[in-house]
Amino acid sequence: MPPTGGFESLKYKRNLPYKGPGAYVLLGGVTAICAYGFYRLGKGNLERRELQREKVWSRIHLVPLFLAEGDRDMYRRQQAAIAREKEIMKDVPGWEAGKSVYNSSKYRSPEIVIL
Amino acid sequence: MTSSQSGSLSTHAYQDSTPMPADVPKVAEIGVTSAPLKSAAFFLGAYCKEFNDDFMLCKNESRDPGHCLKEGRRVTRCATDLITKMRENCLQQFESHWECLERNNQEYHLCRKPERTLNSCMFEKLGLTKTIPGSPAGKLPIHEVQNPIYKGIQK
Repeated sequence: MPPTGGFESLKYKRNLPYKGPGAYVLLGGVTAICAYGFYRLGKGNLERRELQREKVWSRIHLVPLFLAEGDRDMYRRQQAAIAREKEIMKDVPGWEAGKSVYNSSKYRSPEIVIL
Repeated sequence: MTSSQSGSLSTHAYQDSTPMPADVPKVAEIGVTSAPLKSAAFFLGAYCKEFNDDFMLCKNESRDPGHCLKEGRRVTRCATDLITKMRENCLQQFESHWECLERNNQEYHLCRKPERTLNSCMFEKLGLTKTIPGSPAGKLPIHEVQNPIYKGIQK
């Protein structure tokens, strides 16, 4: 015999609790976050290019200064080397100290450095 | 006679002690380290433009170190002059900027705050502005961007 008040109703409906936002929301969210990230990346790339330009130009502006200083030192050591060569080769007639081995007036940095 | 260093292995770097020939006028070398030079680089480019261009055109004629000594002396004198003027007029801003560069791997983008005070001081006192050649037209140059992406992590 059934109990008084009848049987309890059968639980036949699906019981799926809410588990966060749906697929399209997730997809949209991920797309939006990625889009913002790529936008920042693009901005950052442009900015990095400008930072690089700044760095390069700061060095370009200093080139003449360093080159001038290096030239003076190079010239001094060159003159010293020519003087040494003259002293060593003074007994050889017809020797031209500091003459290039090439038949050309183009400047070449010295191949031999005396330590 | 030939060398100022003995033939055996030496522990110190070789330096040719022969002085400059007497017929070349003397000029004091700039004697400034890398960070102050980097801090002053753009002002140097603006202040000494004629001398620098002249020197580089001369170097373009010949790479011989003896060819451009006169122009080179002018370049060095101009740079020394600018550094002296900077130290006279904007000493505190200049020092804070190059010390910041010294601490931050000599990166400009990590030292914008002291750089801006230095730039404004240089403009007020000496009328020199920092311009980066070739930066895109119509956009704020990178050293004036208020909220850049690349900046120091610490505030």
